[in-house]
Amino acid sequence: MSMATDQQPAARQAEPARERLSGAEFRAGFIATLPLWLGVAPFGAIYAVSALAAGLSPAQTLAMSLFVFAGASQFTAAGLFAAGAAPAAIVITTLVINARHALLAASVAPFVRRAGPGTKALLAFQLTDESFAIGMRRWLTGDGSLGYQFGSNVSLYVIWQASTVAGMLLGALIPDPATYGLDLVFPLTFIGLLVPLLKTRVSNLVALLAAGLTIAGALLLPGSWYILLAGLAASGAGALLTRGRQPAGPPSDAA
Amino acid sequence: MDDKQITIWLTLLGMALATYATRVITMLALRGEIAPWLQRWLGYVPIAVFTALILPPLLLPASGGARALAIGPALPAGAVGALVAWRSGNVLLTIIAGLAAFWLLRWLGF
Repeated sequence: MSMATDQQPAARQAEPARERLSGAEFRAGFIATLPLWLGVAPFGAIYAVSALAAGLSPAQTLAMSLFVFAGASQFTAAGLFAAGAAPAAIVITTLVINARHALLAASVAPFVRRAGPGTKALLAFQLTDESFAIGMRRWLTGDGSLGYQFGSNVSLYVIWQASTVAGMLLGALIPDPATYGLDLVFPLTFIGLLVPLLKTRVSNLVALLAAGLTIAGALLLPGSWYILLAGLAASGAGALLTRGRQPAGPPSDAA
Repeated sequence: MDDKQITIWLTLLGMALATYATRVITMLALRGEIAPWLQRWLGYVPIAVFTALILPPLLLPASGGARALAIGPALPAGAVGALVAWRSGNVLLTIIAGLAAFWLLRWLGF
């Protein structure tokens, strides 16, 4: 039922972005994401170590990377499995931590709205914070494309699986990754993605408000609800503060 | 497979379905033009979400499920990372600088 998007040149002209899946664009997205591999790889390996330590089998550890493919929630789930948490609690926590994806996917949606539902469903499967950030830089300058976003998505998927397997093999060598500060790779990666977005007064205010809500929420609310609280409320405040302005996308578009 | 293994597999299935739902629903549901106010809102989502992902590992370590404020070497290491990110805009350099700062602080006895 997908629309034959490629056969309507007139309609395509009105589009903010190209829609054809080009191999060159795919490669460009894949390559643009390579610098993030260094950040993601230790994270994936540490996940595997924690998951095995929590009592998951190698097959289960890899299956989570293959089918969930969401680092923060995989880490948390490993901790919950280790603590013997109820399955429902693990699934709900995963849902809460990953609910932010709905917001990220919503901001990609306008750029891919002419793509067929099958293409979108496939694109959504591998959408992560990191590949979203990489793809968004291009979407916002009008240079984005499905191929580029797919390339970035697949790039992260490949390194995530590879590092999960590496972690399973090396796990015995690094009994406690936190001692080496390797668990800091996760926040440091997002610092590297966030700071270039802070270019205007409003974006700084949004980050400050999100910081306050995160700290208060993490201390006062159960589980990981603080992610949704900060994600929705601080960004909403940004929208209110820019009322009447052109929605040129986020004031981001880092170098 | 014993019951425990089946439970783990079913939990993984639930996690996979829940996560895919968060990714696919809005992407399929939002068609056509998005209202300007919603576009502005969504534009600030990455800033808010990334901030929420960064801070807890730096100053709110979880111990036994609950989180408590704890200032250790992670926070200044994050600050060094932020400085490098600001000057360079480079994710790789940010990670390396942050980890180096952490190791240095650890070595100094923090």
